[in-house]
Amino acid sequence: MTVMKLNVLDLEKSEYTGGKSSLCPGCGHDQISNVIIQAAWENGIEPEKIAKMSGIGCSSKTPAYFLGKSHGFNTVHGRMPSVTTGANLVNKGLSFLAVSGDGDTASIGIGQFVHAIRRNLDMVYIIENNGVYGLTKGQYSATVEKGSKKKKGNPNQQAPIDLCAMAINLGCSFVARSFSGSKKQLTALIRAAMSHRGMAVIDVISPCVTFANNDESYKSYNYVKENDEVLHILDYIPHFSPIEEVEVPEGEYKEVSLFDGSTLRLETIAADHDYKNAVSALGAIHEAEESGNHVTGLLYYDPEVPTATDTLGLTETPLVDLPEELQRPSRKSLDEVNSGFRS
Amino acid sequence: MTQRWGKIAMGKVVNDFVINVATANGTGSQSSNLVILHSMFEMGVPVSGKNLFPSNISGLPTWFIIRASEEGYQAPGDTTNIQILMNKDTWLEDLEKLDSGTIVVYNTDVRLPVEREDCTLLGMPMTKMARKLNPKLGRLMANMYYVGALAHLLDIDEIAIKKAVAGQFKGKEKAVELNIQAISEGRSFAKDNWDFECQFNVEARDKDPKSFLIEGNEATALGCIYGGVNMLSWYPITPSSSLAESVIGWLPDLRSDGNGGSTCAVIQAEDELAAAGMVIGAGWAGGRGMTCTSGPGISLMSEFIGLSYFAEVPGVIWDVNRVGPSTGLPTRTQQGDLTLLYEASHGDTQHIVLIPGSVDECFEFGWRAFDYAERFQTMVFGFSDLDLGMNRWRTTGFQYPDSPMDRGKIVRSQEEMDSIANYGRYRDVDGDGIPYRTLPGSGLDPILYRGTGHDEEGVYSEDPQVYHDAMSRLKKKIDGARTSLPAPILREEEEKQVGVVFFGSMENTIVEIDDILEQTGLSVSTCRVRALPLHPEVEEFVERHDTTIVLEINRDGQLYGIMRKEIPVELVPKLNSVAYSDGMPPRARVYADKILEVLKEVVK
Repeated sequence: MTVMKLNVLDLEKSEYTGGKSSLCPGCGHDQISNVIIQAAWENGIEPEKIAKMSGIGCSSKTPAYFLGKSHGFNTVHGRMPSVTTGANLVNKGLSFLAVSGDGDTASIGIGQFVHAIRRNLDMVYIIENNGVYGLTKGQYSATVEKGSKKKKGNPNQQAPIDLCAMAINLGCSFVARSFSGSKKQLTALIRAAMSHRGMAVIDVISPCVTFANNDESYKSYNYVKENDEVLHILDYIPHFSPIEEVEVPEGEYKEVSLFDGSTLRLETIAADHDYKNAVSALGAIHEAEESGNHVTGLLYYDPEVPTATDTLGLTETPLVDLPEELQRPSRKSLDEVNSGFRS
Repeated sequence: MTQRWGKIAMGKVVNDFVINVATANGTGSQSSNLVILHSMFEMGVPVSGKNLFPSNISGLPTWFIIRASEEGYQAPGDTTNIQILMNKDTWLEDLEKLDSGTIVVYNTDVRLPVEREDCTLLGMPMTKMARKLNPKLGRLMANMYYVGALAHLLDIDEIAIKKAVAGQFKGKEKAVELNIQAISEGRSFAKDNWDFECQFNVEARDKDPKSFLIEGNEATALGCIYGGVNMLSWYPITPSSSLAESVIGWLPDLRSDGNGGSTCAVIQAEDELAAAGMVIGAGWAGGRGMTCTSGPGISLMSEFIGLSYFAEVPGVIWDVNRVGPSTGLPTRTQQGDLTLLYEASHGDTQHIVLIPGSVDECFEFGWRAFDYAERFQTMVFGFSDLDLGMNRWRTTGFQYPDSPMDRGKIVRSQEEMDSIANYGRYRDVDGDGIPYRTLPGSGLDPILYRGTGHDEEGVYSEDPQVYHDAMSRLKKKIDGARTSLPAPILREEEEKQVGVVFFGSMENTIVEIDDILEQTGLSVSTCRVRALPLHPEVEEFVERHDTTIVLEINRDGQLYGIMRKEIPVELVPKLNSVAYSDGMPPRARVYADKILEVLKEVVK
């Protein structure tokens, strides 16, 4: 007998699912889609208030596979951030959940990625990072590590672009890295990102089972499992039921207060990670890189950065909800404009 | 052909002359030139000004052409009657080009020879006088002395000058005082030192108290504001930047909610690609988004423009055309982007293009563009150019929109949704090719918008019939816009001998062209196209006339090409192309001569 479980909005999880995936069986992206469904459901976000955004590529197809009750836009290659910006400016009442890939973000779309971070656009930006272009059959992307080798061809010779390091350097307000195979960590991070106001970048290593899941690939399942440097154990405590869900750990922990009143609890494993310090976050990334590891967890967090809509001085009401008289100035005002030019 | 000298009284040529001012940019000459223009305008003299400037901030040659014309001609004239020489770099060249008898006013402090004994040479130590008046600002102030010289020669009214200076330096009392002093010193010097009676004169006319001069870009900006723009994304590019900056300038006054909140977001994008993406994002979310750019920006935006067409997302892009291809002549004018706009992006596309020919239409099409975009759920272009956008033109005031905002077919409630039988995001329920749409956040029939093939429900599809049907419906939708878009402006003669079809800023030259042609005994009607796709009246105009000239400011005859493709094949032989572009605002004589050349072949 199945137990019917409802979230805080009395909705079943099925209200958050999407169409059937057409990605390769075992693709990391499908695991991420499942986590997105789980996170949105557990957080009790109204599905119709979510806007799913994506660019072009395997990852960008996935919005068809989750949150079927949400509007979405599968835009053009690398240009999802700008479409999200326009939509956000006119309707800040929507929760923007974006999925992109390493080709989409680190190559063709790197300019838009950078500038969306500069503006602290209020969105969750998930990068499904596998180091290869899947839809065009396995070319290297710009995030692949030096020396990493995909199934076919020579090892990569060029230095990788580390999207988390880049985001931290740009003052991104929420930066995390995770692994599609780490369901608990990823769920907590996506739930926390959804509770954050501002740009939340989560770089998720998501193995490409078809073109780069061989052991010489630094983004294969086996490699990541063996070289995952976990910063802390994560628990997400929602603002609506703070006690029930999470047990208080015995060891040391820190609590991160999020915009909507929820909490992300970081349980220290070995060394303490200072997520408020950009230098130590960058240090953690570079040290892991030097030893061929992937550092995962909440790397950096700064809740004080104003968002794009904060800095523009817009009306309280989202612009799309304004009545016509606030969008078209009065007849009298035009008379004044005309007579101003005449004098 | 003889020059038309307007009214001659007592040997004087009144309100009919061309002044050419040669300066270097960054020397403050634009202020001086605008003072001349506005003081004459204040007197009711029919006057127009053209700024020919370089792609540079300081030091390169700039010319400003001021034309007074009792006939109301606004194109640069064929000859220069008064030449102002300030710039040493073009000094000799400018001198060499002049016709015999030209009046030359020059700055003696430049210390270059003025060897044209066949011209009237009038020197003034402008820099010295300016330095004496204000040692710090001497370089900038020198230009005000030629204003004084012209005021003397042409007899420009002192009160009109004071008003023009006050308008130019609004709120800067010191600057107003200093500039008026410089002009008056210039006037006195000319009076005391030049033993010359100028044959050109201005004479006050009844000025319509409602009239004023304004740049096309500012008129467009105001139109957009009254069109309810919610989001302006832009990337700086000449000659469109002043459109965006004008919107920014007017927003606090016109688009505040009363509590200090702005009802329009402005964002300076990282590039034109992003600017276009933001427009689409805003339109998708139910807002009124726009950007403004020039040809290079349109090239960059093209992929997004196709997305807007195919996914049916409303948006507005203003193209203030400059000379292409590539970086081209960035500060010169052209109508070279017409085909680019009409068929922007890969695959089969077709876009609505609104083409204003006056500042009044810049304002009107500014607000209407948003209505068309939402009505037809597609990208709508405004097509202006550097000449219209960055020069000042006359208006008697802008007309308030005569209809409420048209938000198109948006389903906003479950009730509305239930009343639509067989709803599908991309289904032609009403038979006009325009489907209904719902907005994100509404929870009504959510779909994943996409630039990939999709069926009537918005679901991904590669089915041949589905693709073909979708493309056919899009064609039907845009075709259906023809009769809703602004109809052409027709000025027809009884005798339907020659019909001239033209568009956009050529409006400012067409009357003069028409007059030159009619002096040869031809009967010439004109038809100004104001939108693409073409209104059926354009075809009817062609049909009524023995022969048609399609006149435009580009090399290849872009409108001619569009017309050949779209009018019935039996009318095509009636079409003749006259297309010419050299970067300059169109001069009537140049285009009239080219038309006459073509007509020699066709009119027997």
